[in-house]
Amino acid sequence: MAILEYIVGRILQMVPVLFGVSLVAFLCIHLVPGDPVQIMMHGRATPEVLATVRAELGLDQPLPEQYLRFIGGAIVGDLGKSIIQKAPVNEIIGERLGPSLFLLVYSAVLAVLFALPLAVVAALRAERLIDHSIRILGVVGFAMPPFWIGLLLMVLFGLVLNWFPISGYGDSFVEHLWHLFLPSVTIAVFLAPLLVQSLRSAMLDVMTADYIEVARAKGLSRRRIVVKHVLRNAAIPVVTVLAVNIGWLLGGAVIVEYVFAFPGLGSLLVRAVGFRDYPVIQGLTLVFAVIVMIINLLADLSYMAIDRRVLRR
Amino acid sequence: MGTMRSRIVSSLLLAAAAVSSFAAQAEDVKRGGTLVFARPEEPLTFNPYVPADNGSIYAIVQVCDSLILADDTGLGIRPGLAESWEVSADGLTYTFALRDAKFSDGAALTAADVVFSLQTAGGPTAAYAFGFEPIQSVEAVDDRHVKVVLKRPYTPLISVLSLFAAAIVQKAAYEADSDAFGQKPVCTGPFKVEEYSRGSRVVLVRNEHYWDKGVDGQPLPYLDRIEMLYVPESNARVLGLRSGDYDVIAIVPFNQARQLEGDSEVTVEARPIYRLDYVYLNHSKAPLDKKEIRLALNYAADREAILNTVYFGYGEIPNSYMPKVNYHSEAVEKIPYDIEKAKELVAAAGYDGTPIDVMFSTGDAPAKQIATILQQSWQAAGLNANIVEFEGGTAWDMTTKGEYQAYVSYITSDINDTDELAVIEADINSGTNAFFTWYNNPDVIDMLAKARQSPDPAERAEIYAKVQNTVYHDGYSVPLNFLPSINAHRNYVHGWRVVANGWWWLKDVWVDK
Repeated sequence: MAILEYIVGRILQMVPVLFGVSLVAFLCIHLVPGDPVQIMMHGRATPEVLATVRAELGLDQPLPEQYLRFIGGAIVGDLGKSIIQKAPVNEIIGERLGPSLFLLVYSAVLAVLFALPLAVVAALRAERLIDHSIRILGVVGFAMPPFWIGLLLMVLFGLVLNWFPISGYGDSFVEHLWHLFLPSVTIAVFLAPLLVQSLRSAMLDVMTADYIEVARAKGLSRRRIVVKHVLRNAAIPVVTVLAVNIGWLLGGAVIVEYVFAFPGLGSLLVRAVGFRDYPVIQGLTLVFAVIVMIINLLADLSYMAIDRRVLRR
Repeated sequence: MGTMRSRIVSSLLLAAAAVSSFAAQAEDVKRGGTLVFARPEEPLTFNPYVPADNGSIYAIVQVCDSLILADDTGLGIRPGLAESWEVSADGLTYTFALRDAKFSDGAALTAADVVFSLQTAGGPTAAYAFGFEPIQSVEAVDDRHVKVVLKRPYTPLISVLSLFAAAIVQKAAYEADSDAFGQKPVCTGPFKVEEYSRGSRVVLVRNEHYWDKGVDGQPLPYLDRIEMLYVPESNARVLGLRSGDYDVIAIVPFNQARQLEGDSEVTVEARPIYRLDYVYLNHSKAPLDKKEIRLALNYAADREAILNTVYFGYGEIPNSYMPKVNYHSEAVEKIPYDIEKAKELVAAAGYDGTPIDVMFSTGDAPAKQIATILQQSWQAAGLNANIVEFEGGTAWDMTTKGEYQAYVSYITSDINDTDELAVIEADINSGTNAFFTWYNNPDVIDMLAKARQSPDPAERAEIYAKVQNTVYHDGYSVPLNFLPSINAHRNYVHGWRVVANGWWWLKDVWVDK
């Protein structure tokens, strides 16, 4: 019951945050110079046509009124209509939400798969050659621009070996896995070093703790100590790192989206800002805020699953 | 006074001769198959009366015909849904005889569809309404004939009717829901939209009811299906073409074109289009209000260096303030690169050394390089420049409001008549303040009004040559390059070419894999 109460409390806390986010996003985008109608017409239209179109879109009304109209719609789940694409914002975002989340989860899973063995080896062989090698590898992976990694992967696996497609999303789950492999690896190469570092240092901390000494004294096998005690206790900081980065990647995977011609939310936001497509920008900001809050909630819940003591605190 | 019964068909085909060199032999053509085509832009809508972006325009013309069409090269025009037309002696009434064509849903084209379409194209919210302003009324004479009545003679009308923005749509479908129409248009063009996945791809399939015939005497188009993919990253497009994932790619960056030319399985083509890259100058801001300063900027611009380093040699140094459209004159003398002359002009203008802000849009790498080269070569003539960078939407906002001095950008023409850009760029009363330059020359405005009313091509050519010479030598802007469009395709793709308007006629393309 305590968990349910906790979840409901957290969800209620989201409401004022969302209002704040929507207001800040609305003000920011309207304070930036630029007129969606002028951009859309690209300098061909006369002032009369511009004024008529603006009035039709309600852009001639005072800002507070425009905000109320937007927030009123958002409360009932209607984010309005795109100025440029003439389609409902719900539809435009909805089409890309699935692929974007798929890419995120896929990248996170790959990153964990890369990071886990590397971190364990590095921690168990701390300050030896293999530890230093893993660290250097991590620095290189983290420092290489995703743009460059993406192109290298495309050249190797797309052009030379012809194993993976270099763009698209596919139509079935298996095709998604196949099409999104290269973009996911690109993100994972950037994400995994962060996980390796935090898991390695957390493991080193745990390994010097008294209860590990006790476990060792009791004669538990090394494998059992690492899996059951060290990894479990070292996992919490890693989950935090993962959650923060996943939230950021939702809108921040733009470059990977561009390189692999992937229809994600990041590139949608960049284009919407370029065109000053206010309804799309506002809608995306709200969706991002909701998803980031859900990811954080899930991270907190997973702390509890890992360590029951968190709930009591 | 009867009407002048002149069937204006072939006399208007300005570049008909050029067409034959592209024409395939009937026995060569292979029908069927799918073309995979990667583009850097995506269509935002298929509603022809909304957009001004090339992503949409170039896709709309594959799906929606107009009364008049750009020909195979784009330099001339040919009859589209209007089989023929007559012009009254006073030049005020055009009567169009409609072709026996069908919409992609099988319904017949009627005069009511044409009247509705042209009225919407000139409506109060249409992006290209300025081209339809001289039209007094559009009415159906009978079910097969439509009459367009003008307020005053307007010779470019025929070219304006070839615009994508003058596309003929099915009245019933458009009126039912114009937003839905933007996703799934009902027009008479060679292809129809089968799938429209925003952000990734559009699938076009052949329109079984298309009216035009191919070189083999069978109905066009040759292809069954086109997958038009949105691939914004240029390296990804080039890699995809080389790996065979894509059959055609649009817009190869200059720095990769030469390298791609070395691939024996790929053909790279650079073709002239109606585009001019130039530095916009705001004549309302000192010191650019002085003609001497504007000319000095022109004399001191090292265009040769820009052409070779920024554009990798692709293009041509311009002798005009606007792109090379039909009445372009080669006779206008180019302003040479002459630092001494520039210095004299700077001295004569009494320039006080206040720097000129040269703006470019964030992410526009060529514009940034151009601004840097110009800054250096202007410095040599004693002209100081600051380079300033703004995000695209902001830069455009500042430009339209006149809150800038110089802006490295470009312009393209949508029709094959000099009138569109000549008026937009050089007539301060045309609605955009002479395309945000605040250039004001009453002689030029008079000449342009005369040219658009004259039915005589020789007279129009003479006037436009004079306008070109005057505006260019008034230091209207700093023209940099008649930039071609560079595209590439695998060798098994035939009939592919960019027309002068910047797009491609996919109906003429066939593949032999």
